[in-house]
Amino acid sequence: MVFEKLQQMIAEEFGIEPEEITMETSFMDDLEADSLDLVEMMMALEDEFDIGTISEEEAAKLKTVGDVVDLINSKS
Amino acid sequence: MMKIAIDVMGGDNAPLAPIHGGFLAAEKFGVEIVLVGPETEISRILKENGWESPKAGKLSIVHAPDVVDMHDDPARVLRQKPESSMAVALTLVRDGAADAIVSAGSTGALLSGATLICKRIRGIRRGALAPLMPSSAGKVMLVDAGANTDCTPEYLLQFAYMGSAYMEKINGVRNPRVGLVNNGAEDTKGDALRKETYALLREAGEAGRLNFVGNVEGRDVPLGACDVAVCDGFAGNVMLKTIEGTAKFMSAELKKVFKANLATKLGYLACKKGMDDFRALFDQDAIGGAPFLGIAHPVIKAHGSSNEIAFMNAARQAIAYTESGMIDEIKNNIDVMTVEKHLEK
Repeated sequence: MVFEKLQQMIAEEFGIEPEEITMETSFMDDLEADSLDLVEMMMALEDEFDIGTISEEEAAKLKTVGDVVDLINSKS
Repeated sequence: MMKIAIDVMGGDNAPLAPIHGGFLAAEKFGVEIVLVGPETEISRILKENGWESPKAGKLSIVHAPDVVDMHDDPARVLRQKPESSMAVALTLVRDGAADAIVSAGSTGALLSGATLICKRIRGIRRGALAPLMPSSAGKVMLVDAGANTDCTPEYLLQFAYMGSAYMEKINGVRNPRVGLVNNGAEDTKGDALRKETYALLREAGEAGRLNFVGNVEGRDVPLGACDVAVCDGFAGNVMLKTIEGTAKFMSAELKKVFKANLATKLGYLACKKGMDDFRALFDQDAIGGAPFLGIAHPVIKAHGSSNEIAFMNAARQAIAYTESGMIDEIKNNIDVMTVEKHLEK
């Protein structure tokens, strides 16, 4: 459920097809995300999943889509 | 009455120049200027200079105690400093309490703030700083002039679409010529970014979505080779500042020629009007600022070194951009401007 929602969000954010996104997709290497993309995504996650604020330390560990799924599950 | 928020703590001459510029803009354009920054200090400056009651328009203050400075990390600063003048001013625009914002603060922070608070137009990947510069063909739009140091080919293609729409709809240029700023005119020139972007622009040109005229060299941009000059923010910023510096240098050299002796001084008097017009072409204070194309609300970046005249003119730009309907124009044409991306693996 969290993954499917994330797929949609990331697809829209980065202008790609949702099916292309897997748990292993890397933000930096595959999506070519920069620091602004990552902050933007964090803010969207906080709103969408109602998980409070994501700290800088937590954010620094988010390398792949799977990492985000784990973080959301641990916070909700 | 239109409301323009001014980030009072942004720029080299803050807070005096933004406040003075705001006062001048209220009087000249009859709008409400919302001064965003430390309330006590703004009130004191208004009082000391007798700017409290403009003859036309209106001035109001919204308190913001914190300041974004040039050393802050652009991507994070607005989360770290939600009470900074820049963040508060952007929030006013997002919430409809102001129609547009003018800031001379850090370009990177303003782009991040605009993206995170005012948001991008749905489907647009990045906002781009898009000033108009004088050229032999009239005006040329430089996009991106410094908001995005690192760009992808997809960003650049979208900058081309947005710049082209602006020149056509707002500046009345029919079928604007789009050029890719490169280190040579031949289609094989450039680094990986330029080569990939060239392919995307050519494809868009062949599909009839753009009038792509190929690569343009830096020198050909002021000489009128294109109406929209597309580049990443790094190249764009270097180019913009080089043109500004060259113009100042040329003006100073010309002045020396005219000052040589009595005869040349008389010659200067004869062509003074023309010389003033020439200087005005490149007067950054008269231009004021440039909009961030692609952001869902009007955000105007003023030069870091803006004086009060530049702030007043940036407010004029904010009014013009708000009234232009450019944001709706991009929204209405987003299907054409959307760029699909596919992962490599």
